[in-house]
Amino acid sequence: MTREQTIVAILVFVIEVITTVLGQLLLKRAMEGSKAFGFTHPRILKLFVAGVVSLTASFFLTIGLLQHFDLSFFYPIQGSTVVIITLAAAIFLREKLSIQLIIGSALISAGIVLVSLS
Amino acid sequence: MDRAPRRLANPWLLLVFEALFVTASETLLKLGASETERVAGWEWTGLLSLTSIWIWCAIGLVILSFLCWIYVLKYIPLSIAFPLSNVVHVLVPLSCWIFLSENISPRRWCGIAIVILGLAVVAKPVAKIEEKL
Repeated sequence: MTREQTIVAILVFVIEVITTVLGQLLLKRAMEGSKAFGFTHPRILKLFVAGVVSLTASFFLTIGLLQHFDLSFFYPIQGSTVVIITLAAAIFLREKLSIQLIIGSALISAGIVLVSLS
Repeated sequence: MDRAPRRLANPWLLLVFEALFVTASETLLKLGASETERVAGWEWTGLLSLTSIWIWCAIGLVILSFLCWIYVLKYIPLSIAFPLSNVVHVLVPLSCWIFLSENISPRRWCGIAIVILGLAVVAKPVAKIEEKL
């Protein structure tokens, strides 16, 4: 793999993680808002569609990455999204974070890495 | 977690369903994919897998799991629901082991055990909150 290819791969990989996290945050916002405003409210629908688009993008980027790398190399990244989404939910959605939640998420991430390595 | 409906509409139960649907769909996708993989020239598009009934069942299950997931998001904080939804990393290997006779290496069993431990750590405070309600 050339230097350019490596840079592109890292970039795709970063965008894949960002779109996954962003998609889940948008979906959460939409569904939370739907309790107060109803699902058909234009603002809620916009958030929902944006979430689905973001997750769709992450889906195809995942396939693109899978075409270039082994699943066992790439899958541990899926594990890392657990910790990132937990932290992102705390930062952007102001969800309460406990020490148990952080330790639990870290353990799940570590477990996923082990599962996918073997 | 405010005013969450009970019984069948209980978001925690729907989270369990979501994980089960994902597990079933992954297993069926593998079944359908291996059933249809031997068609020369087209194998990389994955499109010919649509001739398998398993693939259609799997697609239905993916849609069901998504519906469950957005319902779960309505009531459960993302920072709790998302880690818990990763129970599929335990269920999918187990399902492959039981239904597809795939091998699980000792290292993978260790990984599965650590994921279960993490799930328990995340779920324990949640169980306490639910008890108080």
